[in-house]
Amino acid sequence: MAVDTAVPGADFFFKGESGRNTRGLLRLLILVTIAAAAIAARLFSVIRFESIIHEFDPWFNFRATKYLVNHGFYKFWDWFDDRTWHPLGRVTGGTLYPGLMVTSGVIYHLLRFLTLPVDIRNICVLLAPAFSGLTAWASYLLTSEMSDSPSAGLLAAVFMGITPGYISRSVAGSYDNEAIAIFLLVFTFFLWIKAVKQGSIMWGALCALFYGYMVSAWGGYVFITNLLPLHAFVLICMGRFSARLYVAFTTWYALGTLASMQIPFVGFLPIRNSDHMSALGVFGLMQLVGFAEYIRHQLPSKQFQTLLRAMVLVVFGLAFGGLVLLTVSGVVAPWSGRFYSLWDTGYAKIHIPIIASVSEHQPTAWPAFFFDLNMLIWLFPAGVYMCFRNLKDEQVFIVIYAVLASYFAGVMVRLMLTLTPIVCVAAAMALSQILDQFLVASQPSEPTESTKANGNANGNADIKDKLAAAIPESLRSTKAPLVGIYSYLSKSVITGAVTAYLLLFVLHCTWVTSNAYSSPSVVLASRLPDGSQHIIDDYREAYYWLRQNTKEDAKVMSWWDYGYQIGGMADRPTLVDNNTWNNTHIATVGKAMSSREEVSYPIMRQHEVDYVLVVFGGLLGYSGDDINKFLWMVRIAEGIWPDEVKERDFFTARGEYRVDDEATPTMRNSLMYKMSYYNYNSLFPAGQATDRVRGSKLPAQGPELSTLEEAFTSENWIIRIYKVKDLDNLGRSHQEAVGFEKGNKRKKAGKRRGPRTLRVD
Amino acid sequence: MRSLISWAWLGLISSIATADSNLTHESRNILPSAFSPPKHFRNVNLVRNINLEKSYPRETINVVIENIDKAAQNEYYIPFEQGSLGQIGGLEVVDKKEAEKKGFKVDVVGIDPFSTTEYYKITLPTPIPPKDQLTLSITYFVLSALSPLPREILQTDKQYVLHKFSAYAPSAYTTVKQKTKLKLPTTDVPDAVTLPASLNAEKKEDPQKQGTSYTYGPYSDIEAGAVQEVSVRYEFTKPLTHSKLLERDIEVSHWGGNIATEERQWLTNRAATLKNHFNRVQYQQSSYYNPPTSALKEMRFPLVVGSVDAYFTDDIGNVSTSRFRTNKKEANLELKPRYPLFGGWNYSFKVGWNGDLQNFLRKVKGGNGETFVLKIPFFEGPKQAEGIEYERIVTRVILPEGATNVNFQTTLPLISNTTSLHRTFLDTLGRTALTLTAINIVDELRDRDLIVTYDYPSIAKFRKPLTITAGIFAVFVVAWVLGNLDVSIGRKQEKGKKA
Repeated sequence: MAVDTAVPGADFFFKGESGRNTRGLLRLLILVTIAAAAIAARLFSVIRFESIIHEFDPWFNFRATKYLVNHGFYKFWDWFDDRTWHPLGRVTGGTLYPGLMVTSGVIYHLLRFLTLPVDIRNICVLLAPAFSGLTAWASYLLTSEMSDSPSAGLLAAVFMGITPGYISRSVAGSYDNEAIAIFLLVFTFFLWIKAVKQGSIMWGALCALFYGYMVSAWGGYVFITNLLPLHAFVLICMGRFSARLYVAFTTWYALGTLASMQIPFVGFLPIRNSDHMSALGVFGLMQLVGFAEYIRHQLPSKQFQTLLRAMVLVVFGLAFGGLVLLTVSGVVAPWSGRFYSLWDTGYAKIHIPIIASVSEHQPTAWPAFFFDLNMLIWLFPAGVYMCFRNLKDEQVFIVIYAVLASYFAGVMVRLMLTLTPIVCVAAAMALSQILDQFLVASQPSEPTESTKANGNANGNADIKDKLAAAIPESLRSTKAPLVGIYSYLSKSVITGAVTAYLLLFVLHCTWVTSNAYSSPSVVLASRLPDGSQHIIDDYREAYYWLRQNTKEDAKVMSWWDYGYQIGGMADRPTLVDNNTWNNTHIATVGKAMSSREEVSYPIMRQHEVDYVLVVFGGLLGYSGDDINKFLWMVRIAEGIWPDEVKERDFFTARGEYRVDDEATPTMRNSLMYKMSYYNYNSLFPAGQATDRVRGSKLPAQGPELSTLEEAFTSENWIIRIYKVKDLDNLGRSHQEAVGFEKGNKRKKAGKRRGPRTLRVD
Repeated sequence: MRSLISWAWLGLISSIATADSNLTHESRNILPSAFSPPKHFRNVNLVRNINLEKSYPRETINVVIENIDKAAQNEYYIPFEQGSLGQIGGLEVVDKKEAEKKGFKVDVVGIDPFSTTEYYKITLPTPIPPKDQLTLSITYFVLSALSPLPREILQTDKQYVLHKFSAYAPSAYTTVKQKTKLKLPTTDVPDAVTLPASLNAEKKEDPQKQGTSYTYGPYSDIEAGAVQEVSVRYEFTKPLTHSKLLERDIEVSHWGGNIATEERQWLTNRAATLKNHFNRVQYQQSSYYNPPTSALKEMRFPLVVGSVDAYFTDDIGNVSTSRFRTNKKEANLELKPRYPLFGGWNYSFKVGWNGDLQNFLRKVKGGNGETFVLKIPFFEGPKQAEGIEYERIVTRVILPEGATNVNFQTTLPLISNTTSLHRTFLDTLGRTALTLTAINIVDELRDRDLIVTYDYPSIAKFRKPLTITAGIFAVFVVAWVLGNLDVSIGRKQEKGKKA
């Protein structure tokens, strides 16, 4: 296009029909390359470690997927899991989002049908990278709807493919709901924009279909449920109600709500939960506005219009009041705690410690934005500004999405994920604008400039004409200003700078992915003095020991963080796990951990606990251990039993949390403390035992256990497993029994020795 | 064809079978319950050696048999108590004088729930004329024979094991003169049952001790089926590694020129269990001076030279504590389980490696040029100084798709063989898979070969590329047809106008 004077044969490839084909092919090739880059960037952990499921939640998803593959879909749907939350069990089939597992299951069966013997674990590990390739494609589609520039979509695809904000939840092995949900999110938005633009029932129905898929995959679907109505609402308020909007919204709402209600975990929430009421409200409003518009076409009277408008407002007010009434009377469920914590960041810490105890629910630190998005974060406002310059229905969507997502990302680290797509889209729009201006080699010519301005902005065209009419003759130059880049120097400087930024961006993304987001956290890596990698595999050592050498139904008590891993790797029943549905049960475990043995033992007996598992990092300096998480156990237990467990008792008089000689008696008698440090002294010369995480010297006398016995300790002491003793055969208390074994005599009162006297021979 | 025949004669006991598809052959016949072997023979002199140096006893019976019947006889029986027969493995019989010649055919007979005794039937190649003698050498292993006593020990304690056996060798015939020699691994023998000197033919102290060897006997004129139970208890601070199941897959690929082997093991340590639980501090301290222990800490797989790409995984992923040393002379796979295997603990894992097919496969000269001979070890598994016993080994040889006329031979006693189809990697028909099962095997037999011959027509090689080409072509055709369908509702657009 630009290079007319180049090779004569090039005309064939760049002009006309075959030119379009060439560009289409190029675009396809670029997109495929982007998808490949997106997948490759996520494979660090597979190359560095192995094909393994990461962290905590993915282990449950993996286990559920295996259940689905082995037992079939209907069994999975009705799955009651008696190997978690002992003795309560969990209605797993009805309390999970099945989208992820079903997706993997379908892929698995498809490959089996083609007789490709791919292990289900590898499908699960590589699902997130594969879907990230699709996400890049989806953001290409979405951005292409927003911008006329051919490069914007491709830039958005590249950004989406490698930005760390998205990679953080989609590296290979991170088999979580977000793995497919972000693709579905972006794709649903694309379909919505398409539907709004064309007013097509087909696109609206497709949007509803993918919305249904999204609901089945991630709890974050509520974001879509609220964003689309908000978009529609804002459009109505801007006076942009149209048949297109009506068709798109009603199709989406009716079909999408029905689709979402098919998921057992969602069920009747769309009509009974406050989170979904905005969609219902806008749906009602849409009917009213549509009706009013219809009447307006029939009756031209101006008075009637005002009356109608008033009526619309009254009905809307009535509906809103009715909703409030229903909420107060309890028919519609009030806002959930998680929702409140979105508006008040301190809310969770006071009311729901279990939500606050998860690090990804903390408010985002400022550097995190730069860390996760790098240069996109300063291109983002520019992109949003570009939307205002040419504000059509779809640009309104970008603006709303940007504002909402920015707020949410500031409240919770985890919601950075929903911000990332819009940042990529907006940044791509901004950057493509720059590139389109500066990458053109030929000089701009005057007349084409004005036609271009007219052709570009349909929405603004009439405003411009009005403006032109209003401006006096002398200011004619302002009407069609001569804008263009004439100097090759400025072109090359800007182009060079942008290229440098892009290269730096790639560098940053690779660095972040490699260093921050590619650790499986099940397997730890360290470097030996000679620089070679040493794998610390204590978690799996202990879990595999449990799996192989304990009874099939031996109950394992541990803090809830490890519940999913024990279920997935050790295959043993647990008391609590990462699906924190029962706060009291978790508090019970917290109480057992934070109380004295005499209190904990009956709790453990009542829950038929066979083994207790603790994580101890003191030997290795592994800071994510249970002593560091201990205060959360205490707090959660205190929430239920404020009289028996008190957080204050675990701090010294000066308010310090210590484990050494100065630790409080409550701390030193707690089961967690004892289990962590039991026998640890004997590893060191007398009096030299140190805890490398807390950096403190431990008491010379190590703790003693009477109701538990050490069953297994992993190589680096990270995992320690204790067996709960059975009742004593002779009916003694365990303390007495242990004392007897050690040969201690019972202390007898009386028989006091007299004062020492100097013996004189 | 000549090489094939020479290989066929190589085996000591060859079991040749033509495998039909989906047919299982069980080589056990059932005799009437009241069966007792005819007393055609007499054991003139019998010497039994029990080698206890490994974690399973190996018994060698050298016996001079004499035909006391009037006719020539060729069926010799060895009795075992019911139950103990299930522990006997690798029973082989050769003519002592001509040990290089192939062994005799051995069958298990009399699996019958009502009789207490079961028999191995040895078929001699040539019947022995009356009054003639023959020297047999009978070797077998007894699995799960050693039991730790005491059953529970401390982590750093020595382990003692008890071996119960009969001072009289098992025999279905009258034995004129016999003795039993024990070879122990140590002189630390706290208990050995002493028999009264009156039983002894030389009226000497029984057993006779000489260093680490104990001798019971000689005894004279012992009736058939007589049992004199004795036991020894001796120090054996080594793991009693027992493999409950070994599954082995060998996949042959003519296209890739590759032979892929995978072994899946279910191990358990039969050693004495820990009295107190596992103590990491003690274990770490003892690792500095490495004393003998009943825990299984390490396994070594000497693989066929030229093996590459070894891996070691278990149910929850890769085990990083393995080393694979490979050079021109050796290929050693050294594995450490995730945790040391103390008595009563289990460990299951998977190892695999690749090899160059050229080292294993040969084209048979002559014939139609499409017959191949594959020679592979029947099983590999770890090679430990103290030995490993296998309860059951299932070896599956997966031949290329379209391989027919599969024959195999091996010197290991098998209990079943099956040929089936195994569909994988875009197969249309499925590959021919030969499944062989053996029970009660010990690691001493790990060098025994399995020889498989099969026909693989060169046209079968092109089945898969053609299928894939056709598949992709079909996808394109379907895509083209779908792309040309007009599914729009509403009025048709005028022709010539582009949509």
